[in-house]
Amino acid sequence: MCRVLVVDDEEEVRAAIQRRLLRDSLEVDTATGVDEAVERIKGANPPYDIVLTDMVMENPEGGLEVLKAALSHDVFTEVVVLTAYGNVVNAVQCMKHGAFDYVQKNTPGVDVYDQISEKVAQAMDRRRASLGTIRRMEWFARLTNL
Amino acid sequence: MESCHQGLPSKDIVFIQEAMAFAASTSSLEELLLGILERGLQAVDGRRGFIAKVDFDSGQLAIQSSAGPGWTKEQLRQRLEWHTGAGRGITTYVAATGTPYYTGNVKDDPYYLAHFDDVVSEIAVPIIDSQRRTRGVINVDSPRSDAFDSRHSTLLLALANVASLGISIDEHRNREQAFVEIGTDLAASPNIQSLLSKVIRVAAEVLRFEDCSLFILDQARHTLTLQASRGHLKEYKGKASYVVGEGLTGWIAEHGQSIRTAHPDSDPRWLGLHREFGSEEVGAFLGVPIESQNGVIGVLRAVRRKSRFPWFQNEFTADDEGVLWSIATQVGAEIQNLRLMDRVVHAERMAAWGEMSARSAHMMGNRIFAIKGDLNELSFQLSQLPPDQRENLEQLAEGIQRGVFRLEEILQEFRDFLMATSLTLEEVDVNSLLKEAVQEFFPKRSVLRLELNLKEGLPTVQADQSKLKRCFAELIENAIGFQPEKGLLKVSSCLSSSSKARRLCGLHGKRRYIELEFADVGPGIPENDKSKIFTPFFTSRAKGMGLGLSIVKGIIEAHHGRICEIGQSGSGAKFVIFLPIKEES
Repeated sequence: MCRVLVVDDEEEVRAAIQRRLLRDSLEVDTATGVDEAVERIKGANPPYDIVLTDMVMENPEGGLEVLKAALSHDVFTEVVVLTAYGNVVNAVQCMKHGAFDYVQKNTPGVDVYDQISEKVAQAMDRRRASLGTIRRMEWFARLTNL
Repeated sequence: MESCHQGLPSKDIVFIQEAMAFAASTSSLEELLLGILERGLQAVDGRRGFIAKVDFDSGQLAIQSSAGPGWTKEQLRQRLEWHTGAGRGITTYVAATGTPYYTGNVKDDPYYLAHFDDVVSEIAVPIIDSQRRTRGVINVDSPRSDAFDSRHSTLLLALANVASLGISIDEHRNREQAFVEIGTDLAASPNIQSLLSKVIRVAAEVLRFEDCSLFILDQARHTLTLQASRGHLKEYKGKASYVVGEGLTGWIAEHGQSIRTAHPDSDPRWLGLHREFGSEEVGAFLGVPIESQNGVIGVLRAVRRKSRFPWFQNEFTADDEGVLWSIATQVGAEIQNLRLMDRVVHAERMAAWGEMSARSAHMMGNRIFAIKGDLNELSFQLSQLPPDQRENLEQLAEGIQRGVFRLEEILQEFRDFLMATSLTLEEVDVNSLLKEAVQEFFPKRSVLRLELNLKEGLPTVQADQSKLKRCFAELIENAIGFQPEKGLLKVSSCLSSSSKARRLCGLHGKRRYIELEFADVGPGIPENDKSKIFTPFFTSRAKGMGLGLSIVKGIIEAHHGRICEIGQSGSGAKFVIFLPIKEES
């Protein structure tokens, strides 16, 4: 089961994303802002597989804080950032800090929710691959130690 | 002065010395004139006397001080009117000729006008200033016959010189006062309008420029418009105007030099368009330019009425000109200050608007995003229904979706407009960026022919890559949109000269520019629309808000470049962009 944390300060947005991801049979938690998100991430055991966060909340770079908290808790958590359409600077910043990808919320003519669903699936693939690699490396290490 | 005193008895010299010492210790003009008059009476053993001063506004002689018996208030007032007549009377004669006069028997005198019964002798001397203008007259009478001689005349002239000094010191004091007043007023003026009115008031009242007018230059229209005046012209504030170069006032603005003339109506430049008084009344004219760091920004001018008295010189002096210059200098500096402040206030207001708009756009974007979520769910649930139940509903959902996408387009355009001027600069090769934009935005299979004509090896520019690409995209899409059947899009780049940049787009300075051209063979821009195409909300297409070209303009200008449209209406649009080259310092 894939666990996702959705962070957004708008209730309707949280609800809409949660509903879409539930349709994909994911387990979805929500947080209403940076502080709650950081708390949930720290308390998650096992860690969230995917964190989907809005970039601009009460703090214009709130998404970045969520991203940092997620990666410091589990470096293999994949983070997808929601940005305003056209805000490339923000998006680039997130990518530099290790986000899996970003989704522009108001891209005209694009069904962003299907896009989110796809991005989350891709992110999940990468996480599985990363974790698989780690497992093989650990196994290999055990073998060579023996 | 020395010659006046030659041959004077030593008691007279002592007397004059005493009078000068008195003058030096007196600070009010009124007190000084009275003291002079009393000393005059005493020196020539007269019965009564007065000092009349030339009033520059009216051209009349007005009594300032009187001494001796028999003066009534009425008589003092009457005295004022004496000289408005035919120029008769000894005082008027002395003022007109500038020479002393005395008579020992008034009954036989051709100039004498009787006002007291007991007068037999009368003596009068002019008060002359350093510019040889009559400033007043000292007049003394006596009940004795042949009471006055040349010695008395010399004594009174000496006193008149002291009075003249006193008068000019008083004037300087007033001017100084006026400067202080203008300075304080300027500093306290909340806006340009009230500042200008104050300047006019002080200049006219304190400096005795009879009427003053102030014109401010509108650089764009090349016109000077009246902003402040006092008399008759006051009614024409904001209306009376001169094209630069027109009339005396326009000449001052054009040349940045002053004009001082006693006969403006005979000056070839004089037009008499807007006058403070009737043409025949205008006597002297004095005008100076008001300058700021960027050159002339207005004209301050003063006029005086023609004198009705041939002896009365009413022209402006070099001193007056100096005074007006320094007022104009202060005004120029202060206007520049206020304009700067206005600009700052305006910029702050715009920043506040921008901030508010950006917030609103963000909030709307989030709302729309939530609606898109609901739409997505709605489409999903519809897809679960049997086909016969869902067809109509699906159409509805699609309609809503189209509306939402349209909203997002508008929002996007709005955001681009707001963000046009906030750049993230990097070194950009314009040719590669052009190629990228064409690749991305020019359709692979198009009815249009594409001609790329890019000059190799162009220097780089400091630019915001994505914003510049947005500009190119807009211009490419424009060309496509206006040529639906067939056509051509020509995109070219080259190195431009600063003179071409100046000629086409009014760019100053010696910078070098890269010149980009987007030309098509569509209908072109109608002549009437040319001035409007870069303004927000102007559109001839149904798409978007009509912000497209204004965004392009905003982005290009934020790069210190310019864009203009130079195509011929009917044979295609041609947009030319100038981008400054990054010069190695």
